Amino acid sequence: MRRSCSWTVVTLVAWSLTFASARADASGAGDLEALVGDVDRGAQTFRAAGGCTCHTNYPGEGDEAPELAGGRGMETPFGVFYSTNITPDPETGIGGWTRDDFARAMREGLSPEGEHYFPIFPYPSFSGLTDQDLVDMLAYLRARPATRRENRPPDAPFPFSWRGTVAGWKLVNFMPKRFDDAPDESDTWRRGRYLVEAAAHCGECHTPRTLTGGLDDSMALAGSIEGPEGQLAPNITPHESTGIGSWSEADLVWYLQMGLKPDGDDTQGLMFEVIEHGYAELPTSELEAIAAYLRSVPPIENRVKGTAN
Amino acid sequence: MIRTRSLRLLVACLAMTLVSAANVSADSREDGQAEIEYRQKVMSALGTNMGAIGDILKNRLDVPGAVANHAGQMADAAALIAPAFKKHLSEGATDAKPEIWADWAKFEDAIAGFEEAARSLASAANGDDPSAVGPAMRGLGKSCGGCHKPFRKPKEESYKNK
Repeated sequence: MRRSCSWTVVTLVAWSLTFASARADASGAGDLEALVGDVDRGAQTFRAAGGCTCHTNYPGEGDEAPELAGGRGMETPFGVFYSTNITPDPETGIGGWTRDDFARAMREGLSPEGEHYFPIFPYPSFSGLTDQDLVDMLAYLRARPATRRENRPPDAPFPFSWRGTVAGWKLVNFMPKRFDDAPDESDTWRRGRYLVEAAAHCGECHTPRTLTGGLDDSMALAGSIEGPEGQLAPNITPHESTGIGSWSEADLVWYLQMGLKPDGDDTQGLMFEVIEHGYAELPTSELEAIAAYLRSVPPIENRVKGTAN
Repeated sequence: MIRTRSLRLLVACLAMTLVSAANVSADSREDGQAEIEYRQKVMSALGTNMGAIGDILKNRLDVPGAVANHAGQMADAAALIAPAFKKHLSEGATDAKPEIWADWAKFEDAIAGFEEAARSLASAANGDDPSAVGPAMRGLGKSCGGCHKPFRKPKEESYKNK
């Protein structure tokens, strides 16, 4: 009920904005055409993003699911949203996109036609990706097999099914990610911050959301009972009794390589998928950076019932 | 002589009473609770070995032969799983899904896959090629999911939340 009230406000704001929303410049983007895209580096960025497994319908179609062709239903408190086709198919996928189109989608949540993407697509995190990583990632995506599959509209009630609402959502909840220099921290820590906060987009599931569906920064990485697909996302801050304070950096690296927790238990759900298709294939140095950063964030007490912590 | 005999009789009677009392207490427990607790111990023994292998590999502990030993223990213990789960118990303090008994053959296949993965890790750990251990380890980790995905309730539905 409180959620509906908040959304009435957001929707009203959206009404006043939606038709005025012009195609903004891809913020932070330099001249992307001047860069050279590298498929192998792009593969690393793609893996750091968890292998973009939300775009492959493993739950619905199993291992036979066409890679990155979308159509995966993501259950959220606002309805079911379907991931999109990000294969190079020119008509139903992103084959016809320019680098600027890709950057605008990843950093501003806007389609080439200027429509808002629903924030189940974690562009608030991806907005922190560097120009080079975006160009490399697009090169990698273009090298994947093309599959023709139309995107599917959400199964969600109004106003959540209406893209105009997202304009209001963005006003309230979306701030493009920028990183300060953090001169007192190590290179490893800064790399870890970039991976955790931008590429690996950990907070998109592990940070709980506010009533309007924005990330609650005061609870960063402290776990959520309303993760996508109705899954629980554990507290991954170093809080001793409710987070992963008892995990060493070696435990974290091992977990991201194998999907095995310190007690020997395995991982299920979306987390296992992003490990298997993404994080596990990253160089150990990248995983060590993630682990070092995660060990350094403020511990927050928040018990997510049903998780091992 | 008589005294010895009556003493024996007394001991025998006492023993029988104790045995039947024990039976009664076993029978009076919640439906299948003893079976559930036993199979949870079988599973935690596997998890403990898995955790131990993890400790060794991720911290590079100097315990020669231990990875193969733990993996061998897991492979041997695979034979304990099916008998422990024979009785259909999917209610109460358990995360076992009814699918186990709906598709017993698939359950046994998953166990066989797990045993094979554990043997592969044991032989990789005993072999001369250290680079074979990582992939074998990953194979074993994945084989846990081979059973857990179809047959164990996800954490969202775990009895531990109730």
